[in-house]
Amino acid sequence: MVASHQGLAQRVSDAFWRRPRLLLLVLLLPPLLWLGVVYVGSLFALLVQSFFSIDEFTGLINYEVTLKTYAELLQPANFDIILRTTLMAASVTVAAAIVAFPIAYYAARYARGPMKALFYLGVMLPLWSSYLVKVYAWKLILAKEGILNWMVEGIGASAVLNAVLSMPVIGGGSLSVSYIGTFLVFLYVWLPYMVLPVQAALERVPQNLLEASGDLGASPGQTLRHVILPLALPGIIAGSIFTFSLTLGDYIIPQIIGSSRLFIGQAVYAHQGTAGNIPLAAAFAVVPIVIMGFYLWMAKRKGAFDAL
Amino acid sequence: MSYAVEFDEVSRSFGAVRAVDNVSIAIEEGTFFAMLGPSGSGKTTCLRLISGFERPNAGHVRIFGENSENLPPNRRPVNTVFQDYALFPHLNVRDNVAYGLMVQGVDKRSRHGRADEMLSLVKLGDYGDRKPAQLSGGQRQRVALARALVNKPRVLLLDEPLGALDLKLREAMQDELKALQKQLGITFVFVTHDQGEALSMADRVAVFNDGRIVQAGSPEDIYQRPRTRFVADFVGSANVLSPALSQSAGSAKAWHSLRPESMELAKAESGRLAGTVASIRYIGPVKRVTVDLGGDQLTVAVPAERTVPEPGTRVGLNWSDASIHRMEDE
Repeated sequence: MVASHQGLAQRVSDAFWRRPRLLLLVLLLPPLLWLGVVYVGSLFALLVQSFFSIDEFTGLINYEVTLKTYAELLQPANFDIILRTTLMAASVTVAAAIVAFPIAYYAARYARGPMKALFYLGVMLPLWSSYLVKVYAWKLILAKEGILNWMVEGIGASAVLNAVLSMPVIGGGSLSVSYIGTFLVFLYVWLPYMVLPVQAALERVPQNLLEASGDLGASPGQTLRHVILPLALPGIIAGSIFTFSLTLGDYIIPQIIGSSRLFIGQAVYAHQGTAGNIPLAAAFAVVPIVIMGFYLWMAKRKGAFDAL
Repeated sequence: MSYAVEFDEVSRSFGAVRAVDNVSIAIEEGTFFAMLGPSGSGKTTCLRLISGFERPNAGHVRIFGENSENLPPNRRPVNTVFQDYALFPHLNVRDNVAYGLMVQGVDKRSRHGRADEMLSLVKLGDYGDRKPAQLSGGQRQRVALARALVNKPRVLLLDEPLGALDLKLREAMQDELKALQKQLGITFVFVTHDQGEALSMADRVAVFNDGRIVQAGSPEDIYQRPRTRFVADFVGSANVLSPALSQSAGSAKAWHSLRPESMELAKAESGRLAGTVASIRYIGPVKRVTVDLGGDQLTVAVPAERTVPEPGTRVGLNWSDASIHRMEDE
């Protein structure tokens, strides 16, 4: 039995060796089916739904192709949601890039051996605990009776915090019920997704390019601007795709922390659930896809991927 | 005569390893200076001490008479052609060459003009719009050269610049580099492990071993009169005669070097030394005949067209008194 079994394995292996494309097909088929049917298929179903509309009296879906639902997105109440979410996603992305870059730079250029392990642990550790636990922990940290407020009072900087919180729009009763709070939590939760790609990109920048730049007369600042940043840009773009799209789609953080105004994810949740307005929910869900598509197109046009 | 670069008892250690160990050199302005040695001999570290990427632990590196210890690389009047060229992959060839001018704040038009001039100097006038990835190894090497020269450095440092090129291209580039150095009149400091390259291009050669300079001099000096067994062996694989062998051949009882091409085969009884032919290796213009002297082996270079005795034949070896050179080894 063993011999014949080996014979079969041998024959299969030989067949794959003779036809490398067959092996490729066998390896790729399951993920391609998964992507094709489950992912693209459901995306397509979603897209189709968004072109239907809802009958306002009966609450039933009218299966006629129309752009009426998309027009609804432009109503001030809905458009505010889109604008709010996009602005939040953009601010979180920019802040994540700024915070992540020095960390990633240190990890890529200086950290060796145990320090590098510590870096990976430090960046990944937050991903190991439950998202909800982290978000509720932040609610406690940011609350009026929370540790942050207590520390700010302790160093006598309450006036500063109050001044910040009294700003229109982004302020609020306390950090945990303001946009600033939402922003801080988004920034914390998505930061690893920015750090890792930027670090990977920086790791691929050869040391001798930095030396060549200095050798040709560039100050360290000029080397950063003209060599390191352009070469790290694909990593920053990759990271920003994560932070931007994750913020665009999230519906839990703004629900727990922040003013009670809706984000796109919450709108989708509300419309497909309680309101039963699947077409509008679908139309809302298409918005992040369109924004991301536009963002990538712009990034490509601006040459962000030239260094790849 | 003024010196472009001087090393004054310079040492540089990495942990316990003394990469550069108490090196003193003076490189005259306008010379083509080669640092020759096996890998790990400290020659590249010396180059990096000049460019400023390494700082000495002890001693001083002076560039045009000025102590350079506190001068960062970007403020030194030297430029480098890196071993693997280090071209910026995101910039096209013209912008690569113009980089040094751009960081100085030269406006786009004039820096592109100067870059194009440099590119035609290295015969790549039409390649300005390409990316480095679209060029061959030899072309990249020229771009790296143009980029280093655009700043009009007073010293050009070259770190094994021809190492990645194939033989034919390497020989062509050797001639071009030599001609370019004459034309520009600036000092070239050239690091290589290829003795042929060092001897054929340089005005002066310093041979490195274990972080020290074992011999510095003209190529002829180094080749004809190696100071130590290491130099004799590393520079063109000379025959090394032990004190005992030297004595039996009629010289003083000391280590001697003898070039393969300075020896002749003779009849066994009429040679200074006699032995049996062990092997014959045909390498283009010459045959290298290895003669076994009962333990010691010596190699004789014989013009290829001449017939040589079969392996196993007893032969004698002769040379003129002027061609054997006494070395300093104990």
